[in-house]
Amino acid sequence: MRSSIIRRRVTTFTILGVALLAGVIVSSAMGQYPIALVDVIRGFFAHFGLTDPPKDPVVDSTLWSIRFPRIVLGLMVGAALGVAGGVMQAVFSNPLAEPGIIGVSSGASVGASLAMVFAPAALAGFGVPLAAFISGLAAALLVYFLARSGGRAEVLTLVLTGIAVTAVCGAITSMATYVAPTTARDQIVFWQMGSLNGATWTQVATVTVIATIGIVWAWSIAPGLDALALGENAAGHVGINVQVLRISAIVLAALLTSAAVAYAGVIAFVGLIVPHVMRLAIGPLNRYLIPAAMLGGALLITLADIAARNLIPFADLPIGIFTALVGGPTFFVLLRHKLRLGSSV
Amino acid sequence: MALLVGALALGACGGPENEGVPSSPATQSGTMSDPHTMTGLTEAQSISDPTPLEGPITQQLPATVTDVEGQVVEVKRTERVLALDIYGTLSRTSISLGFGKNLVGRTVSSTENQLENLPVVTQNGHSLNVESILSLQPDLIIADRSIGPREAIDQLRSAGIAVVLVDSHRSLETNSELINQVAQAFGAPEAGEKLAERTEKEIDAALDQIEEWAPEKPLDGAFLYVRGTANVFFILGADEGAGALIGALGARDVATENGITSTTPANAESLVALNPEVIFVMSDGLNSAEGLDAILARPGISQTRAGANSRFVAIPDGMALSFGPQTGEALLSIARALYGVPGEE
Repeated sequence: MRSSIIRRRVTTFTILGVALLAGVIVSSAMGQYPIALVDVIRGFFAHFGLTDPPKDPVVDSTLWSIRFPRIVLGLMVGAALGVAGGVMQAVFSNPLAEPGIIGVSSGASVGASLAMVFAPAALAGFGVPLAAFISGLAAALLVYFLARSGGRAEVLTLVLTGIAVTAVCGAITSMATYVAPTTARDQIVFWQMGSLNGATWTQVATVTVIATIGIVWAWSIAPGLDALALGENAAGHVGINVQVLRISAIVLAALLTSAAVAYAGVIAFVGLIVPHVMRLAIGPLNRYLIPAAMLGGALLITLADIAARNLIPFADLPIGIFTALVGGPTFFVLLRHKLRLGSSV
Repeated sequence: MALLVGALALGACGGPENEGVPSSPATQSGTMSDPHTMTGLTEAQSISDPTPLEGPITQQLPATVTDVEGQVVEVKRTERVLALDIYGTLSRTSISLGFGKNLVGRTVSSTENQLENLPVVTQNGHSLNVESILSLQPDLIIADRSIGPREAIDQLRSAGIAVVLVDSHRSLETNSELINQVAQAFGAPEAGEKLAERTEKEIDAALDQIEEWAPEKPLDGAFLYVRGTANVFFILGADEGAGALIGALGARDVATENGITSTTPANAESLVALNPEVIFVMSDGLNSAEGLDAILARPGISQTRAGANSRFVAIPDGMALSFGPQTGEALLSIARALYGVPGEE
């Protein structure tokens, strides 16, 4: 029994690692500016002095200013969203908790859209992500206090609270869209659909710092979250301050979500699908689930982005469309399953 | 950041050298530089108010007009008129026909000096405010479907106002037709014929002049719609008249050549693939994007030939795609900016 779960973990992490590497290579080789695989490889290693750079300087520039930052941003965003979903599900003791569903994403939209309308250039461009974080965190805390009874969040209460929070946040965002000048309106609309188009290294650096802090933090509280799964009392008995653990988990989930949405916009359902699939593969232990969700999220976004930027010539599709197309039905199946088992599960 | 700077430097030395073909010898305007090697931002001078037709206008009222959607409209009076479209073409056409003093309101797109003090009847960008229109007690409204919403037009019709809809396409080919439609709404078809003839003559003269300025090998141009600081920009295709404009300027529209017909949210890499050597933008769009440097910093722009040379032409918003009775004048103004011809004044 024990050896079989270990084998499954090893297999899962190996598959994830290989698939992610393959995904990144495919993603590097594909794009609307045609670049031969040879030139991609040469362009990549040339920056470390290992090969000669590609003959055409535009190729090098396209790779390093457009394609690579976008891929790295996608990896970071996906990892952050996957981990955020995993942590939220643990702290709500509910596999349906997901930033997009319980209202954190729409909460983040409120701050981001208000900032885009009223202070687009505040804090040297960091105004929008910071506002997204603050309002996303507020929405997460609100849902946490409203949906929880007796230490757990029931499925129906959680989903319904999410609907209520999303409705109010949606109204505020619409209001911001309504008063916005045309320039900000485009920005809000596209932000809500999510896209990795136009990623720069500055954005990558910001997101990487926040996501790394969040992911390390999440991993460090994973044993606590595992104890929490046994119930609040049991967790208290093994010396865990349950309140502190819960609050810090919410804060870090909001931190990761807002890091992800700050530049890439709302990309829903990644935090739902990825941890769920990983749980099926390797079981519910958070200390393994969280790194698996990190890799899985990065993989899902990488694949979705290959579609988003290659499907239609010259156009860039919003990546949120693809994750929602997969995520919506997954959510539905999960919800049916949970409700059939009885809402107290 | 260092990477980006490196990329810019690389792009800069890779760009123009393939374009060393000397252009046709300088024309009578003297010291003209080769348009292919020009760098930097040039701005087209905005055009003045349209000149009304000379001589008395023969007006036949009441007039029965069949508008572009087949509605039969009876125009009884033209004392109080609104000419409403997103481009500002209809108010300019009305003024050219000699009915400038009959206009009692305007849209934000009507930037003529003589209309400056008229009330604006659109809100929130380009949607019609029915009550403020009714309060102006117009006898006649000339509009097209570029402005809406649909219900507003229906409401105005049912309020008993003569509403004549005209074609919402703007191009060189539909110019005369549009002028005639407007003239018929005023019950002055002869004035329409005269204005159409004057316009065609001006356009022909402008095209002849532009042919002298244009180099033998046409410039590769693209029209980008940029608004605000969002990572969103659109490539304007043939449907918006961008292809017609660029063609009339003696350049080659790389978007139309690659089959882009409608406004496309641009994928950063696809812009590199299009690789225009000059990029047209609207002046207000450029300002709202915080200037040329901010646009150049966006992935995808700096890798193009136009980006490497900062080769941009800014066109005042109302002038870019509105065509109409001042097409010739507008073309000359933009062509001067494009080919570096000193202005007349």
